[in-house]
Formats: sequence, C-alpha cells, structure tokens
Amino acid sequence: MDLALDVRDLGKTFGGVKALDGLSFGIARGEVMGLIGPNGSGKSTTVNTLAGVFPATSGEIRLRGKPVHHLPEYARVQAGLTRTFQTASVFPEFTVREQVLLGAEPARTRRGVWSMLRSGARMEPELRGRLDEILQLTGLADLADTRIEEVSAADQRFLMIATALAADPAVILLDEPAAGMVSHERDRLSHLILALGARGHAVLVIEHHMSLIMKVCDRITVLNFGEKIAEGTPREIRSDQRVVDAYLGEAA
Amino acid sequence: MTLTRKNGLLYLAILAGLIVLPSFISTKYYIHLSVLALIWVIVAQGQNLIQGFTGYVSIAQAGFMGIGAYGTALLGLNFGLPVWLTILSAPLITALFALVAGYPSLRVKGHYFAIVTLAFNMVIFIVLLNLTDLTNGEAGLMGIPKPGAGKDGAINFADRTTYYYFVLIAATGVTALTALIVNSRLGRVLVAIRQNETLVGAAGLAAWKYKLFAFVVSAMFAGFAGALYAHYQSFINPEIFTIAQSMDAVLAVILGGSGTITGPIIGAFAIVFLPEYLRFADSFRLVIYGLILILATIFMPRGIVGLASDALGLLKKRRAR
Repeated sequence: MDLALDVRDLGKTFGGVKALDGLSFGIARGEVMGLIGPNGSGKSTTVNTLAGVFPATSGEIRLRGKPVHHLPEYARVQAGLTRTFQTASVFPEFTVREQVLLGAEPARTRRGVWSMLRSGARMEPELRGRLDEILQLTGLADLADTRIEEVSAADQRFLMIATALAADPAVILLDEPAAGMVSHERDRLSHLILALGARGHAVLVIEHHMSLIMKVCDRITVLNFGEKIAEGTPREIRSDQRVVDAYLGEAA
Repeated sequence: MTLTRKNGLLYLAILAGLIVLPSFISTKYYIHLSVLALIWVIVAQGQNLIQGFTGYVSIAQAGFMGIGAYGTALLGLNFGLPVWLTILSAPLITALFALVAGYPSLRVKGHYFAIVTLAFNMVIFIVLLNLTDLTNGEAGLMGIPKPGAGKDGAINFADRTTYYYFVLIAATGVTALTALIVNSRLGRVLVAIRQNETLVGAAGLAAWKYKLFAFVVSAMFAGFAGALYAHYQSFINPEIFTIAQSMDAVLAVILGGSGTITGPIIGAFAIVFLPEYLRFADSFRLVIYGLILILATIFMPRGIVGLASDALGLLKKRRAR
C-alpha cells in the first residue's frame, strides 16, 4: 500500500517520562485515521512530534516515502505535512483570505527575492482559483474579506483547516478540531473531514467527540500511556475490550 | 495596509510640507533640528520595521548608528576614501554586525529580545569608548569631511539648508523602501510574525529568516542615519550612541504610530523637537518628557497617527448624521 504518512516505532521521552513508546501506524492517501485515548495518553505529543514542534527521541516518520523526522517544523510543511491547533490559532488583523494566502506560501510557484518584494496582495491566477475553492469547501467564501478578529470562534477553527489546506499537503493533522463546537458546527466539520479524504489528503484526527470520530474515520488508532493498544475500523474499536476498559467505558 | 490613493496623497502632502519647510524657518537652529529630525526619520523607519511591523522591540538602533557613523568616519579619515563611498559602505558594515548580533538574539522573544539587543548596544558603546587606538575614545573623532567639494563645489554641503535637502532625499528613499517592503509578500510575513509567530511556522515559513531580514534592514537604516549624522556634525563621540538614544527610536515609533509609514516620520520630529520645547521647564524637563510618554502609551496606544485617524473617523460619522 502506498502510504502518505508512515510512522515507525516513534518514541518521545520528556526527562524520564515516556510520553510515546514505539508507536507505529500508517495512513494511506485519501484515508481518515482517528487517534483517540484518555487524557495524557500521548495524542498531543504525537501531533507535536509529527509536526516537528519538538524532535522525536526515536523512530522514523516518512512522508510519501521520504524521511522527515530530521527536518524542522517549517520544512515538514514544505514537504507536505500541515496541522491545526487545539485552540484557534489565527492572524487576527488579517482577513480570512489573507491568512489562507499566507498558508499557501509553501505551495507558491513564484519564489526568489524579487517576487517576495512584489505586492503582498498579488498572486498567481491559478493560486487565486485554488484559494477560492478552499474557501468554498471550508464554508468561508462569504467571510473571505472579513477581518479574522470579527469572525466567530467556530469559523476561526474552519479557517485553521483552510490555512492548512492551502499548502496542498499530503497529510493533515487535525488536533481536536471539534473543540468548543455545537452540534450543527460538528456536522459541518464532519462533512469537511470526509471531503478532505475524498480530495486525496491523508487525515489524522485527534478528537474526544466519539460520534464524530466514529462517523468520519476509516480506521482508528487508540493510545494509552503512550502506547498503541488497538487499531481498526470504528466497528472493531467499539467492541474491543481493551479500548472499552481504557477509554470508552460502558456507555459506548 | 495597501497603498491607497488617500494614503498616497497624504505622503505627497507630507513630502511637500518638508520641501517648503526651510523657507518658513528663519532661525538656523531650527533648520539644524530639522536635519536631525530627518536623520531620526531614517532610524525610526528601521525601528518600525522590526518593532512596529515584525513585533520585536530592539533597543540597539543607536549602537547601529554608532557603527555606521564610526564606519564612515574611519574609512574616510584613515584611508582617504571619498565621502559618498564611505556613506554607502556604512549600512553594509552595520549589516555585518547586525547579522552576527541578530542570529543568536532572535531566538528569544519579547522582553528577552529587548534585553539582548540592549546589551549589544552597551557592548558597542564600551568598545567605542575603549578601543582608543581606533576610535580615539571619549574625545571622539573630529574633522569628518562633508560630502561634495566644499564651498567651491557645485553643491555646498556645509550649508545647513543644503544638507537638509540632502537628508530629505535620503529619508524619502528610506521611507519609500520601507513602504515597498511592508506592502510586499515579504512584508505580509513580517506582519504575520507579529500577530502569531507559531502559526507562521505551522504555515511552512522559516520565521527566523524573515526576522533576521527585518533586523538587518533596520540596522542598515540606522547605520546609514549614523553616517549622515557623522558627516553633518563633522564630530562624533561614543556619548551619542547610547541606550538612551536607542530608547528615543523606540519612543519615536510608539509616539508616532507603530506599524504605520507616517508614524515614524511624526515620531522622529516629536522626539527631536519635544525636548527643545520643554526647555522652559529647566530641570523638570525630563520629568515632563517622561510624563508625556507615559500618558501617550496609555491614552494613544496607536500613536499620533492612530489618534488622528480615529478623530477623522469620528468627524466623518458626525457629518454623515
């Protein structure tokens, strides 16, 4: 299978604490993978280690077959791995379109000193079309020219996804994308995540909201104490006794 | 912030005002202050690039002015190079120092960055003071030549008004360059760094490269201003390149309007003229000066430019009603 993201034996220790221990999984092109587990199980550490916020202690991360674990954060983005944050992270003084345009920087064809000194509003025509499509997809087309500080918290979260999409990544990491969302916003989000898979992105979703996870994921990886305790389809995960004991509980 | 027609007209009006200014001033001393103010416009535009647009408060501009001033003076006095060449070399020499100072110091943020740059300014001051073989220490350097061929040349740079126009051209050029940078794709990244540096990294941009660019360019402006100062006064000593003057650059940006193009122009004139008008207060001068600055940061956080645009907006609203 052609993996967009291939994680092998990933380990991360903070001081003496093993936050991640021998984590391996792969996500294919167009696949949506869920990452769940109780608080402190290593989900955020996984995202931050994959994104390159801090280096992995051990293991390999391959993006479309190429190792990226030695690269700094920005270089991993350029290689095709983008992310969103748990809390809304935006440029409040920019308009929605301006932020998405900045997210597209790694994918821009015109580089070099002179094109960097040309007007900031100017863009390649094909890029304009692509950004419009992303704004449409994320439901932000009507807000394109609104200053971000005036945009609702939920739309700011969709904007993070739009920004992550602008670089045209192979892999997108969504770190608790539904946090703080109400039910109709979660519906909009689940449609979007499914659309991301349909567009051919490999998606990793970290989420506490189980019905969302069960709805959008092709497969789910379950973490507990930094180790993978299960991997499978939503149906398999729901009936896995170890997962129920560690995380889902009787209610699920 | 894009270059709208209204902004363009405002810039032209300011430029026109500065062109005719000398004909309204009869006192030579005020021409002198205006030359200094224009030199400070160059420093303040650089300060604004790193502080106002990129969001990193650097307290080293006077140190960089010192490097530029001593650079141009020493090249001229020791090697007999022509003035135009040494003035143009000054920002390049300053850039080298800024690269070395900026690379490690831009790893830290906020107050830490300010303190690191402040320390760098102190180091420059101490070196200028103690490297007496080269800098002549506290006594400073004298007899720094003026540009041009003196009184017999086509342009007499010894004349204050002439030098005023010379510096006005330089300040206009630097301001135009700043406007070009901040309105460019690169400028968008700088403004993005000020707003959310973490997200800039997550957007696949190596923030440190952009920060270093802004820091080096701001230092080059200061070095250039220092060179213009040295050739204007014909005398420099370490006293004029201390942290106090670097703070003036910080204040010029805050007072005028951080992150705007007109702000540093107004701020530069304010920090040069304000202390003069407070002379009547004698020893209370610095107290009043300080008070004005505290009040300014509390009541007009976006500076004079911000206050003016608020007032204009209010006026328009009234008229609309």
